[in-house]
Amino acid sequence: MAADDCADASSAVTINIRCSNGSKFTVQTTLDATVASFKLIVSRNCAVQPDLQRLIYKGRILKDDQTLESYGLEADHTVHLVRGASSPASSTPPTSANLPASTGVNTGATENPTNTNAAGQGGAEAGGLGGAGLGGSPFPGLSGMFGGGGLQEMNNMHQQLLQNPNMMRDILNMPVMQNIMNNPDLMRSMFMNNPQTREIIDRNPDLAHILNDPSILRQTLEAARNPELMREMMRNTDRAMSNIESSPEGFNMLRRMYENVQEPFLNATTMSGDSATDPGSNPFAALLGNQGAARARDPSQNPSTEGSDGSPIPNTNPLPNPWNNAAGGGQTNGTRTTPVGGDARTPGIAGLGGLGFPDMEQMLGGNQDSSPLNRMLENPVMMQMMQNLLSNPQYMNQILGNLDPSGMLGSNTQIREMLQNPQFIQQLTSPAALQQLRGLQQPFSPLAPQQGQAQNQTGTAGTGTGTVTPNMGMDMLMNMLSGGLGGGGLGVPNTTPNVPPEQRYATQLSQLQEMGFFDTQENIRALSATSGNVHAAVERLLGNLGQ
Amino acid sequence: MVGGSGEVVVPRNFRLLEELERGEKGIGDGTVSYGMDDGDDIYMRSWTGTIIGPRGSIHDGRIYQLKLFCDKDYPERPPTVRFHSRINLTCVNHNTGMVEPKKFNILENWQREYTMEHILTHLKKEMTASHNRKLAQPPDGSFF
Repeated sequence: MAADDCADASSAVTINIRCSNGSKFTVQTTLDATVASFKLIVSRNCAVQPDLQRLIYKGRILKDDQTLESYGLEADHTVHLVRGASSPASSTPPTSANLPASTGVNTGATENPTNTNAAGQGGAEAGGLGGAGLGGSPFPGLSGMFGGGGLQEMNNMHQQLLQNPNMMRDILNMPVMQNIMNNPDLMRSMFMNNPQTREIIDRNPDLAHILNDPSILRQTLEAARNPELMREMMRNTDRAMSNIESSPEGFNMLRRMYENVQEPFLNATTMSGDSATDPGSNPFAALLGNQGAARARDPSQNPSTEGSDGSPIPNTNPLPNPWNNAAGGGQTNGTRTTPVGGDARTPGIAGLGGLGFPDMEQMLGGNQDSSPLNRMLENPVMMQMMQNLLSNPQYMNQILGNLDPSGMLGSNTQIREMLQNPQFIQQLTSPAALQQLRGLQQPFSPLAPQQGQAQNQTGTAGTGTGTVTPNMGMDMLMNMLSGGLGGGGLGVPNTTPNVPPEQRYATQLSQLQEMGFFDTQENIRALSATSGNVHAAVERLLGNLGQ
Repeated sequence: MVGGSGEVVVPRNFRLLEELERGEKGIGDGTVSYGMDDGDDIYMRSWTGTIIGPRGSIHDGRIYQLKLFCDKDYPERPPTVRFHSRINLTCVNHNTGMVEPKKFNILENWQREYTMEHILTHLKKEMTASHNRKLAQPPDGSFF
């Protein structure tokens, strides 16, 4: 052994490098050098760039930030060099552009990724999910009315969002969303806020299980973010369904499941959906109402009809894809629910995805009642102003024009149409609706002018649902608006642009290293994408490597 | 030490020290790398090995890490060999990454002269075997 001839680590020693193609060469280095600097030295002797080099010594892959000494490397020992061409990180940085989550979205990670208490998440989630559900979300009150009155414009808006997978993906990629989805308590409390839902969940442990399992929620989100995955999931669900159907008694089982789960669920939601002007009190009204509106139903249908065509006869047709706009309401209900009650987890997830997530903001919106913000807005002067504003379409128009330098409304004719529709305005001015609307009006205004179209939509959505947060604390709301939205927002100026991700995610990076993800750059990318969530980052890394 | 057959029987420690040096210096085949996990373990039981995926196979360019455990009866008995990196090979248990001796000749018919280097190079050969060459592989960089 050569232990003795290099007792002094600072003196240069000779190291043999053995390439995977069999060629050999030697380099001189000091043993206290880091692996990264050693790679630089190696790169002078061969054609492999440092970041493509994989060095192996004694069966271990050398990590860039370690010293050669720490691996016990000594003079005349041999280090194996492999060109790491197969790693996506090394192949090209732009790879990430092809991946579902674009890094651009993620650079705006919130200032302190570890500061994810429930309130913060709540606010943030309101933003993210609001964006996801777009249509209904900016105006919880409006969606409610829409649910009752069947305003077609809303439908279109929903559809527009849902037909834009990029936007959906961006929204779902927002770090805040991922944080939220990892917080089962929050999700749970959202579900549990509704007594009717709670009852259903109590009666159906399967459903409760799904709602309590953050990984399922996350998976659902993953699916929503990745069209291929989603398709695959839906295919699985469909297959499972038809298998069940074709087995004896299977059909009856499906029907029972439907009756046990779907109907009460639907009732729970549509009942208050029809009472409508205050959907906030019943998050699920908005949920299913919009759900139907968004993708399942003929736009002319409204939640009440959906409730009625949710008759206990499940579909006999080939199972439709609930994400498909063309599917009929009844059928979609069938597909959506059954898996929720079913035992198969994956279909369950898909079903849940179909059920809920894009519309989650409605559930958040549901907490509005207790909101102190509302109280503030109940100030008579404010009320009067709003009344004036809302009863005058032109004025409204103008205001919205002002609010909207980036042309969200201009480019989104549905919103404009909707706002110009006198009937709609009338409904808007109904006191209850007004109350809802006011909740979002205020935060809406400062935000809107700053953001581009996509951000704008997210932003509005976020603020709409943002009114929820007051019952979690006003300051959290403010945080959400400034940090959460900004951070989650797509390239919106970040509160901490100057802290390099290496520093911000130092702990997480070392954790990843421990787990065997040695490519720091890729790790950083994954961490920024997941706002420092190691778990999510690992999943991301694993997913990427396969491609 | 002289065995019954007249051959020199190298004691366990010497044998492992020899292997350690070969691993560190890349003596021999040189296409595999291995070394001790814990330099302070006087029994030299726990080892890490690396196989660089052979060319012309689906494993090309990948780096597979393995754990080898040489119990005190080594080299009379073969070490246990477990893949740390996920891999799809017929002789590797899909859930644990264990190389199953029954399906891997060199462990099944272990001889005293065999070394960990033998194991690693044979596993490498196994990767290019016709029944393994085309198997779909899990993502690079994932672990059991």
